[in-house]
Amino acid sequence: MIKFKRFSAIAAACCLLGGSVIAFGGCGGVKERVTLRVCNWEEYIDLGDWGEEERIDVANPFTQEESIFGENAMIADFEQWFAENYGYNVKVEYSTFGTNEDLYNRLSLGDVYDLVCPSDYMMMKLLAEDAVEKYSENFFNGENNYYSQYVSPYIDGVFSQYEWDEYAACYMWGTTGLVYNPEKINTEDISTVKVLLNENYKRQVTIKDNVRDSYFAALGIVNGNELIKPDLTAETRSLLLNDISESTIANAEDVLKQIKENVYSFETDSGKADMVTGKVIANYQWSGDAVHIMDEADGDETELWYSVPQECSNLWFDGWIMLKKGINGNEQKREAAEAFVNFLSRPDNAVRNMYYIGYSSSIAGDENCSTVFDFLEYNYGDYEEAEQTFEYDVSYFFGENSVITVDADCLDVEDSGEINRGRQLFAQYPPANVTARSVVMLDFGDKLGQINQMWINVRCLDLKDVSPLAYILGAVAVVLVVSACLLCKFRYKLFIKNKTGKGYERVEK
Amino acid sequence: MKKIRFNRSQLCIPYAVFLVLFVIAPLFVIVYYAFTNGEGNFTFANFVGFFSSTNTLGTLLYSFLLSIVTTLVCLIIAYPTAYILARSNFKKKYVLLLLFILPMWINFTLRITALKEILSVIEGNLAAYPFFNSVIGMTFDFLPFMILPLYTSLLKLDNSLLEAAADLGGNKFTVFLRITLPLSIPGIVSGVTMVLLPSMTNYVVLDMLYNSTYIMGSLIGSYFSAYDWNNGSMISLVLLIIIFLVTLVTNRFSDKDTNSRGAVL
Repeated sequence: MIKFKRFSAIAAACCLLGGSVIAFGGCGGVKERVTLRVCNWEEYIDLGDWGEEERIDVANPFTQEESIFGENAMIADFEQWFAENYGYNVKVEYSTFGTNEDLYNRLSLGDVYDLVCPSDYMMMKLLAEDAVEKYSENFFNGENNYYSQYVSPYIDGVFSQYEWDEYAACYMWGTTGLVYNPEKINTEDISTVKVLLNENYKRQVTIKDNVRDSYFAALGIVNGNELIKPDLTAETRSLLLNDISESTIANAEDVLKQIKENVYSFETDSGKADMVTGKVIANYQWSGDAVHIMDEADGDETELWYSVPQECSNLWFDGWIMLKKGINGNEQKREAAEAFVNFLSRPDNAVRNMYYIGYSSSIAGDENCSTVFDFLEYNYGDYEEAEQTFEYDVSYFFGENSVITVDADCLDVEDSGEINRGRQLFAQYPPANVTARSVVMLDFGDKLGQINQMWINVRCLDLKDVSPLAYILGAVAVVLVVSACLLCKFRYKLFIKNKTGKGYERVEK
Repeated sequence: MKKIRFNRSQLCIPYAVFLVLFVIAPLFVIVYYAFTNGEGNFTFANFVGFFSSTNTLGTLLYSFLLSIVTTLVCLIIAYPTAYILARSNFKKKYVLLLLFILPMWINFTLRITALKEILSVIEGNLAAYPFFNSVIGMTFDFLPFMILPLYTSLLKLDNSLLEAAADLGGNKFTVFLRITLPLSIPGIVSGVTMVLLPSMTNYVVLDMLYNSTYIMGSLIGSYFSAYDWNNGSMISLVLLIIIFLVTLVTNRFSDKDTNSRGAVL
């Protein structure tokens, strides 16, 4: 049993050893066949095997078919496509990670991948460490390159703004917000992130067990009054929501402690299911998971909505980056990695992935290829039975005059024309007024340790917070137990020392 | 053809390799990290930090409290059960025993998920009683580990001792207190060690039952996920030392037992 115990304590150290041994595999120089080691988020790609009723009736110009259908897994399709187009074979070694930190840990422990898909701040961290390989020139200029051809101008703009554009190709993107049940929670309360502290919903709202998202939400509360000022510039907003000064961290700690007392829990993976089953009435979530939750709940005849809080919305991007250690100057590997990104960026494949995982692809299409937009219309453009329709504008993403006519019941349009709450379409493609006030969360840099310590302080029981009464009770209990033990041990000496038992004399050892 | 023969020490090689690779070597890694800082210099700062922070000490206290309460609840439930199972002449008692061991065959996350649903039907809002739920979850998880050693030690109880005690005028209570209980102490001790120590670190149960307060296991995890190998290893080492101390104390009981009437389990 000791071994059993000891095991759990050092399991991580075992991984450390195991990891470095495994890392030496792979990397053969065979001409005909190249191995591509890809590491992506869990449940972040189409695994195929769709049911016939899932067939998407959108014409697919790339395969000349009438509809889009995920028969095989995306990876298998890629391998086949690659062999047909490049004249040699690629074998994809696909693995997944659960959090950005998990990926980073694996990389620092010696696991080698060629292509990974971290979020914005982790891309920045890896870029700063000079671990990222540049994409080749013709990836972004190439005529037949699906990514450069079809990526949304909006995504392109953001990636240029942060100077990621030569190193990363955006895969999925979205916001963070609150999925909620409109029957149980009112509009005013859900439109602010303060709902996490709202006593009326005590133990009914969940938030992710994740330092970054929790800290971001806490900043929305700490700097809340300034963030709702109408004349706030984008720069100030970004500074306020990326504030990592000492005093703000301390304030955030207090807020998070209050949040911990008020929310249902910091959920690791249960939020989605709990939202659908109704255990909680709101959940601070990523937009793609929100779409997934709303889809699930629709199956259960529960209508859930998604709200992007006034003060804070995190705009996030997951991008494909090639790692120097993995590619290691191997041109075939680079070609295969770029081909992989390229293949995923083909609009029909983007649609397959979007349908399968619920997140929004970075791919928009252009004037000659409207597959992704058609998919949106196919999904949300069903307004014939609607009492009222609404022209939902997604021009910022799909290019000029991209408007979808939808059922007005799936959006909450305010008098000012702003939309801050809605259903799947709103979560998947937030309107311009939401993206305008959303902020990209930057890397914590050298404050990382401090913020993690803050998070640990929030989650741990602080001896200072224990009431004196509990200390007294605890002390009394300990004294009682100890004296009971002593009493048992010395009962002969104390009570029956000189007495003899029934006819026997007690023999001391 | 030459016969392949192994002598006794050669048969140990697989286990020795396993032991060195996955138990001893990682132990050295942990010790190394625990006594160094981020730059790789020797330091005691990690330990000083642990014993001077009210948060980490609070976590230690919380873990202890949780595991002690769990162990007590397990003991209170398991002892009568094991006693009845071992001492009765009930024909179907092996079926009963199987019923208690059966849950161990099912994956524990599955069991806890089921428990979660049952508890939310009973309690309504699960998040309102995090500590209580964690104790229930842990008990649910570790109960078989308490019943089994108790059952084995009570099964071995010599009937003639009980009869002799009764003949000498002891009533049922005295017989239990003077004969049964002392002779089942090795079972209690091994049951307690099997429940107390794992329940200090099994944070998955807490996560699944919506207890957001850290215990020692989650603390290690949170340091590791923040790339802080040094503090994570330090806490692992602190836990190892606690386990070592507990084993040292409990070994005194089991040693006595080995000499007098053979080992239990």
